[in-house]
Amino acid sequence: MDGNVSIPAALTTIRPELLSLSAEQLMALGPWVLALGGALVLMLAAAAMKRWKGVVPFFFVLIAGATAWSATRLVGGGEVLLFNRMMVVDRLTLVMTVLFSVAGLVSALSSMRYLDREGLQHPEYYILMLFSMIGMMSMVSALDLIVIFVALELMSISVYVLVGFRRADRRANEAAVKYFVLGGAASAVYLYGSALLYGATGSIQIQDILSWVQGAGQQPSLLFVLGSVLVLFGFLFKVASFPFHMWMPDVYEGAPAPITGFMTTGIKAASFATLIRVVSGVGYGAGLVESVQRHLHDLLWISAALTMVVGNVVALTQIQLKRMLAYSSIAHTGYLLVGILTAPFSADGYGPVVMYLVTYTVMNLGAFAVLTALAKRADSGLNLHDLAGLSRKHPFLAFAMAAFIFSMAGIPPTAGFAAKYLVFSNAVQAGEIWLTVIAVLCSAISVYYYLRVLVFMYMREPAEAGVGIVQSKRLLAALLVMLVLTIELGVFPAPLMRLARTLARSTPARVVQVGMTEVEAQK
Amino acid sequence: MAWLDSHLLSSLTFFPLAWAVLGLALPSDQGGKAAKWWALVGSLVTFWLSWILYTRFQADSAQFQFGELAPWIPALGISYRLGVDGISLWLILLTTFLMPIVILGAFSAVEERVKGFFFLLLALETGMLGAFVTLDAFLFYVFWEFMLIPMYFLIGIWGGKDRIYASMKFFIYTMVGSLLMLVALFYLMNQHQVQFGEYSAAITDLYRLKLDGAGWFSVQGVLFLAFALAFAIKVPLFPLHTWLPDAHVQAPTAGSVVLAGVLLKLGGYGFIRLAFPLFPQAVAQYQQVFMILGTIAIVYGAWVAMVQPDIKKLVAYSSVSHMGYVVLGLFSLNTVGVSGSIYQMLNHGISTGALFLLVGMIYERRHTREISEFGGITKVMPLFAVSFLIITLSSIALPGTNGFVGEFLILLGTWKYQPVLAAVAGTGVIFGAVYMLWMFQRVMFGPLKNPENEKLQDLNLRELVVLLPLLVMAIVMGVRPNLFFSKMDASVAAFLERVNPQVASAQPESATTSDSETSDI
Repeated sequence: MDGNVSIPAALTTIRPELLSLSAEQLMALGPWVLALGGALVLMLAAAAMKRWKGVVPFFFVLIAGATAWSATRLVGGGEVLLFNRMMVVDRLTLVMTVLFSVAGLVSALSSMRYLDREGLQHPEYYILMLFSMIGMMSMVSALDLIVIFVALELMSISVYVLVGFRRADRRANEAAVKYFVLGGAASAVYLYGSALLYGATGSIQIQDILSWVQGAGQQPSLLFVLGSVLVLFGFLFKVASFPFHMWMPDVYEGAPAPITGFMTTGIKAASFATLIRVVSGVGYGAGLVESVQRHLHDLLWISAALTMVVGNVVALTQIQLKRMLAYSSIAHTGYLLVGILTAPFSADGYGPVVMYLVTYTVMNLGAFAVLTALAKRADSGLNLHDLAGLSRKHPFLAFAMAAFIFSMAGIPPTAGFAAKYLVFSNAVQAGEIWLTVIAVLCSAISVYYYLRVLVFMYMREPAEAGVGIVQSKRLLAALLVMLVLTIELGVFPAPLMRLARTLARSTPARVVQVGMTEVEAQK
Repeated sequence: MAWLDSHLLSSLTFFPLAWAVLGLALPSDQGGKAAKWWALVGSLVTFWLSWILYTRFQADSAQFQFGELAPWIPALGISYRLGVDGISLWLILLTTFLMPIVILGAFSAVEERVKGFFFLLLALETGMLGAFVTLDAFLFYVFWEFMLIPMYFLIGIWGGKDRIYASMKFFIYTMVGSLLMLVALFYLMNQHQVQFGEYSAAITDLYRLKLDGAGWFSVQGVLFLAFALAFAIKVPLFPLHTWLPDAHVQAPTAGSVVLAGVLLKLGGYGFIRLAFPLFPQAVAQYQQVFMILGTIAIVYGAWVAMVQPDIKKLVAYSSVSHMGYVVLGLFSLNTVGVSGSIYQMLNHGISTGALFLLVGMIYERRHTREISEFGGITKVMPLFAVSFLIITLSSIALPGTNGFVGEFLILLGTWKYQPVLAAVAGTGVIFGAVYMLWMFQRVMFGPLKNPENEKLQDLNLRELVVLLPLLVMAIVMGVRPNLFFSKMDASVAAFLERVNPQVASAQPESATTSDSETSDI
């Protein structure tokens, strides 16, 4: 159960006694049992009985809701290691599970009418979303590079299919193929990196790698450096940071609007949460020898800075809404990388990153729900001009979108501001003043393209042939919840911040503690 | 009422927003009559609340009064901390005083989306009051940024032809400045942790920080520049003023009045509350630079105003000029200059606010603001002409009007610091008289040539009610400045104590004595 297993023991074949589960461990698996069991039953039922098809969305909502509920029930408990320390159910896992379920729920609720209209109402859609969710949950809970890989593939492959769901559309096909090929390559890079790490440290378990790094007198070899860099690259691809961001706009554009929302929130949150574990696992900011530490730091620094600059500057020229949000999403990746990179050197550790992920998920789900409501037939690119005069035709949608946009731009009193200032204040604490200045200047640039959306919604006359609005109560309900959360988290950010801080004290946290003492020692 | 007593500032601040949200439930009737009256009543109640504040304010104390404290984000030492002193008190009163006038003035100007317009105005009032009452630097930033949202929409939706360009420019300009201020603020909060072992964003806590202040780009110097950039953009100080004419010209009348009347004051207030006391050594270092910039703003603003063909643009540039005095007075760092500066902020709110309202009234009638379109207006609109004359005289600082007190004190304070600058800035008063009177002459006097002007209606009762309080204030502030200084002096002294200890102790003479001289004149 604890981390005292020595490395040779981990290398022996799996021992049966480690595979038997205690009652506590079974409880901790609750969300997986619900989600996976639900997904399997749903798949069989939809295949067996044609008339069941119509209720699949309903059951999806039920399953995702139950998963979220069971995860919230467990948050109070301690951390539980599973399957020979390959997975851990701790607060980070559980809170992220709730987040993925919410992303699934909101996307599903906004998908229903949308798919009806597109004539694509197939049960596979929801089942794939469930599998992708399970992949995300497993990836976040993984403490083992191979489990991470398996979960990563489960998550990604389900989404590859979803991206190409509008199979009659050329752009959707292009997006799916592009995403698949590049994603496959990134996975390979990641896998290669884990193999090198295994070669260098003799383990694929994150905790063992960390204790190896922190062990006395260890000089990380070239193998280790290469391995950790490649693993990092794999994730930098998944979160679409510069220079691995090229796929994102095309994929976002080609995917159905609700799936874009699901991707931009779920996959990003899962990748970043796992990145927290991986980055701290290779000893970043916590025991790495100075030269390697500086190397990884500089790598992340450059990537973060360029991601912010490129994302924001390119977004300036976008007319297509989905593309614009894709570049804005790249920009947010940059802010999140700032959080990751400075976390070990500040009091809150990875807390601000988690906080940012939560608020980012909320506001993006909301924004994509609005886009889904407005999506034209065949989802052919909605552009800024289609929003003209929205405030008159549908004041609520316009108001909600305005709130999400302000939140993305980081203007108080919205959730996005709360998250941004936490990340930035941590960065200042960590002594990264210049990076913070770049980040805030990029935020200032971003205001321009975000405000353009408002200009069209509020300050232009409605276009002659405006977009039709998908009338869906379910979508509006989901939208309302996201709107309330966006404002509530902005005005009262303290509870979520407290939660995020405790998350940072879960498994990677031991790492953070070590990092902190070092920082203090330097002072 | 007991609750109101202990939460007076919170009630005052959030009442307009709450009232505005309730107002959204009003039925959308023809012309939005209900929304207009609803907003007017709301702003009057807010004024009444601030009047309670005024009557209960202890004039002889430099302490922050009516304090409120509640934890907000304890992890970073950020709290909901409110309080007012003699400086913020007057700016709060200015805000609540102008708001009903602005709202009543906009009754006939707004025809579309009336409910939204008044909702935004009241939300803006909450933002402005919030920035004045807060004693937490972070909360200040939140209100500071929050204000941008309603103002952005006011300009962007109800503005003139180039409203989108102007609103965007306004937003981004302000945002760039304030984001750097945010970074500096993080640094300060973090320093507080380093020096005192706990995070705090309370302004009075941050005052205690010891930061290296020697040299232009010392820690204090850089942080000061970050704060000063935000405030100088807002004031706006030359050469960061270019957003202002665009925003003013494009904004609807109500937007212009609030922008000139209150929003610009926040820049000056920011200097007083944050930038000066936090970085006293840096202020001394940069004093000369900012005084020169202020002087340039005064003269340059006046020159540019002189050649404007558009009345509103002329008034906008006069704002640049008048706000230059505020910066000049503040940076003179002596009692006379600083008091004059605060007084000038109030004056500018009254005079320029009234000017924008007057311009709006003539624009509603003629749908043009070109000076060349007018001439001989006195004959058809005598009441309008009289009001315009009084405000023009107050704007050019004629003795007996409010403008004179402020500008005289500022020039006196500057003279004490450096006579040359005072002499140059003094020419701004002359140029001010030139452009205002020349404009007045071209619009009001001469033959009534343009046939379109012949059937112009004079001011109606509503417009008179709108203008009267401003005209009265312009005179009252001119002849009884002590009424205002008496509540301000203790706070100004405390402010200088922090910022410029040598001057505060070396100058026994207080603003009260010097302004009694002025009222004798």
